[in-house]
Amino acid sequence: MQPTTTQGPSAARIIDGVKIYGEGNTEVRALDGVSAEFEVGKFTAIMGPSGSGKSTLLHALAGLDTIDAGEVFIGDTELGSLKDKALTELRRESVGFVFQAYNLIPTLSARENILLPLSIAGREADKAWFDNVIEAVGLLDRLSHRPTELSGGQQQRVAAARALVSQPEIIFADEPSGNLDSTSGAELLSFMRKAVRDFGQTIVMVTHDPSAAAYADRVIFLDDGKVVASMDDPTTDGIFEAMKDLGN
Amino acid sequence: MSSHTRLALTAIAIILGVAFVSGTYVFTDTIKGQFDSLFTDIYQGVDVAIAAEGTGVGSADVPFDESVLDIVTAVDGVEIATGGVTGFATIITTDDAGDPKIVQNGGAPTLGFAWSDVSRLSPLSIKDGNGRGPTTSSEVAIDVGTAAAQGFKLGDVVKIQATGEAEDFTIVGLMSFGDQDSLLGATLSAFEMTEAQRIFGLEGQFNSIGVAAISGVSAADLARDINEALPAGIIAITGQSQQAADLSEVNDSLGIINIALLSFAAVAVFVGSFIIQNTFRIIVTQRTRELAMLRAIGATGRQVIVMVVVEALIVALFASALGVVVGIGLAGAIRSAMNAAGLAVPPGSLVVLSRTVFVGMATGVIVTMLAALLPAYRASKVSPVAAMRGETRVRKTTMRKRAITGVSISALGLVFLMTGLFGSVGNAIANVGGGALIMFIGVSVLAPLAARPIANVIGAPLPKIFGITGTLAKENTKRAPRRTASTASALMIGIALVTFVAIFAATIKASIAETVDEAFPSDFTIQSSQLGEDPNIPMTFSRDLVGQVDALDEVAVAGAFQFGEALINDEKGFITAVDPAKAESLLTIEPAPGALDSLTANTIIVSEKLLKARNWTVGESVTITTPLVEDVPFTVTGTFARTEFGDYLISTEVFTQQYEPTGDGFVAVKLAPGVSLEEGRVAILEVTDNYPTTELQDKSELVADAEKQIDGALALFQGLLGLAIFIAVIGIVNTLALSIIERTREIGLVRAVGMSRRKVRKMIRWESVIVSLFGATLGIGMGLFFGWAVARALEDEGLGKFAVPFGQLMAYVVIAFFAGLIAAVWPAFKAARLNVLEAIAYE
Ligand SMILES: Nc1ncnc2c1ncn2[C@@H]1O[C@H](COP(=O)(O)OP(=O)(O)OP(=O)(O)O)[C@@H](O)[C@H]1O
Ligand SMILES: [Mg+2]
Repeated sequence: MQPTTTQGPSAARIIDGVKIYGEGNTEVRALDGVSAEFEVGKFTAIMGPSGSGKSTLLHALAGLDTIDAGEVFIGDTELGSLKDKALTELRRESVGFVFQAYNLIPTLSARENILLPLSIAGREADKAWFDNVIEAVGLLDRLSHRPTELSGGQQQRVAAARALVSQPEIIFADEPSGNLDSTSGAELLSFMRKAVRDFGQTIVMVTHDPSAAAYADRVIFLDDGKVVASMDDPTTDGIFEAMKDLGN
Repeated sequence: MSSHTRLALTAIAIILGVAFVSGTYVFTDTIKGQFDSLFTDIYQGVDVAIAAEGTGVGSADVPFDESVLDIVTAVDGVEIATGGVTGFATIITTDDAGDPKIVQNGGAPTLGFAWSDVSRLSPLSIKDGNGRGPTTSSEVAIDVGTAAAQGFKLGDVVKIQATGEAEDFTIVGLMSFGDQDSLLGATLSAFEMTEAQRIFGLEGQFNSIGVAAISGVSAADLARDINEALPAGIIAITGQSQQAADLSEVNDSLGIINIALLSFAAVAVFVGSFIIQNTFRIIVTQRTRELAMLRAIGATGRQVIVMVVVEALIVALFASALGVVVGIGLAGAIRSAMNAAGLAVPPGSLVVLSRTVFVGMATGVIVTMLAALLPAYRASKVSPVAAMRGETRVRKTTMRKRAITGVSISALGLVFLMTGLFGSVGNAIANVGGGALIMFIGVSVLAPLAARPIANVIGAPLPKIFGITGTLAKENTKRAPRRTASTASALMIGIALVTFVAIFAATIKASIAETVDEAFPSDFTIQSSQLGEDPNIPMTFSRDLVGQVDALDEVAVAGAFQFGEALINDEKGFITAVDPAKAESLLTIEPAPGALDSLTANTIIVSEKLLKARNWTVGESVTITTPLVEDVPFTVTGTFARTEFGDYLISTEVFTQQYEPTGDGFVAVKLAPGVSLEEGRVAILEVTDNYPTTELQDKSELVADAEKQIDGALALFQGLLGLAIFIAVIGIVNTLALSIIERTREIGLVRAVGMSRRKVRKMIRWESVIVSLFGATLGIGMGLFFGWAVARALEDEGLGKFAVPFGQLMAYVVIAFFAGLIAAVWPAFKAARLNVLEAIAYE
């Protein structure tokens, strides 16, 4: 299967991306000529076996890591030519993150954590949007709590709210529901889908879980650092099928 | 940052403490060794030394009649004997402006001798090509070192002043002292014998006689035989005993230097132990999971303790050994510094005794083990489950317990301190020092309780100025109050000590200004500008001077005062001699009515305080022993109130009989009515210019002079205490660096969501500044308290004016601020360099 080209404008793009770890015998091609495009206002899931390069791809797209060959774009900006300062600025202005580990600052309250990227940028939050996001993640009565006083699911929703509140061009999430029970995971995923459907947010999410991927508008499958398949409007069963096919 | 870095940082703290301890020992041992060889030089050929029987007071050798030499020479077994004459002789040159200037190296004495051709009995010698010894009254030989420093050559004419006016001498020889070109920086001049006796006011007298025995005659036997022949009051002892006696005197004064340096070493070690403990605690905390895992798979708590302690032991051994080596280097550096300051400390290998190595190693190892034990114990107590789950919370009960413990320890320290200051139980200095030490520990136990509120106050402006960067910096210092507090405690000690010293100095200065103003109704004082051997007894100058000044039209009255050491009822004391008729118009002593007039032959008046302390009454009979007379009865005939000039006053006339002074030590001058200070100064200078070793000072100059000396001492103390602050700064670096390891993921996260490297650095920097300002706050608080307490305790000793040098204290805050900035440089750099991906990688 070849990756299908998308119709709308792309929020992020990687063309012939190559990432190599190690040398000689220990050389690993984590990304091996990967090309993919992520459409604005869409929720895309990335799946693949362990070690297939999902996290590496996400980090490259997010400007957290550089690639050894190929090009990466956020909007119209090519990342390869940017210095650390410009990359930092780009992350601050255009990118949001939700990671598998909780990744909150323990000394800051939930509200301060949510506002962290805006505070760093020295910007004010849009009040209406902030209330909107908080309501959507259901954290209204938890805003003054420290992370240690929140449950794992709540912490992860704080991280999601943090990514949303600055209205970045694109949000990357690496196994955001990986550490959550099924109820908390479902809550988080429906919230993410809501952000895409209702607010036009662009989200790219790595996951191992077909039922999580089913929340997305589109799934791409990675293996050995290459995109090997993709699927629009996936269902859990459809993803299982595709995975079985790829396994052969 | 690897575990290597952590250990290196711990090691630095140990190394510094140990280096200071061992450096002190090496330095004093080396100096001791040098004096040892010096006295060996002096007494190399002297089998028997003869001197007037000392009374144990005064440092100058009491002169005796030169006829004693004939008696000694006639004793069987004497090969040769020579008489010795010593005194102070100062070479005078002119400065660039043509004014007279005395030649003196730092505080080293200016010594004069009678030249002796019997090289066997004299350490002074003249090498070939360096001329010859003086043979006529107008000739002099000076030491090679001084000649080289001043550019003197053979044949030059120099002015030299002894007890009279300065006179011209021609340099005919350049002397060596033993093998050395000079004697520890002293200037040496030797004169022909009769001339030496004349200029030192010792006509027909010697201070000592050196004897060489015929080979085969034992020194001890000869000394016994000579003693039999000698008149009463003059004794002979073997050269070896004399050498031992001289050496023990040097050891006594070196002992004081030793104690002073070791006190600073103790401070360094004490501050260092805070850092070591802090480091081990953080390291252990960071490894809590690992240790808990070990517990979970069956390791006992004791095994965990052993593990941590063994690690500490290895670090301690390595670092202490390195510290000893650094200490040896430090001693060499101190010696070079002293040489640069003009004190010719002879070169030679540094003396490293096994005691030095042992004490240094023991200090480092013991302190480190003690510091590591508490964290190790804590680690062993952590329940495996709690540790695996992550951070253990601080419970309320431990806060209460901490408060109680801290208050108890501080109170105990306070009791010791107060006992030392105001009580009379035990050794006062030990009580004060020990009390302060205990209070430091008590306050550092309490400090974590204060860390959050104080960090809140100090950090309050940061969020407003720097936004989220400031908030994070502030919150970071609050999150681990124990760590913040113990980091700050190290700095607290250094700052508390400099604050205390500064307050003490300011108080002395303020009190001196007040005292001088009150104590001298006179306008000018004339004193010797030279330093003698005994700082309590001023150097003297010609007795002609006072009469010449008194005769000036501009002067209403000028009077001389003398000072001497004595045993009064067998207790050591200083006697001041006054002219009863002039005393009251020149000095404020507030005598009881009639007391001054009662000063005649064998009467003495004493301060009211002393009278009370000794339980005497007016009419009491006391005995006085001076270098010249023994157990002379005196009657106490009155009292006086002010003690600025000592506790004992006698009349000049009586003093002259007891001491046979060769000069005056102090002259006070009151100007005639209507004569301005400047007119008076010009007139008096006409006279004193003929006596280059004297210094004319009005009251403000006297105060300025005293202040300068205090400032000098202050600078020295603060320089040494600066070391404590330096160690504390290393502690901050250490703690910050370790806390960055701990916060790797957090820093990665803020970087991922867009914080620039610059802001990360800024965050760490301000965190560091808050910690150091916290330390400075505690330190200045404690320093103020110590300063106030000590000033109160010494109120009666003339420290009536408690003064706080606010400018200086502000400067310490600024220093702490910059210390914080500097300490943060490397950790901040490290934090900013963290690889974002590695930081957020989920393990
Ligand atoms: N820092 C690194 N150094 C060396 N090899 C690395 C590094 N990071 C990743 N790799 C290798 O690159 C490959 C891709 O890793 P990546 O983390 O992208 O996989 P993944 O698809 O996210 O796997 P998982 O589902 O287990 O998270 C793997 O083989 C991994 O071992
Ligand atoms: Mg991954």
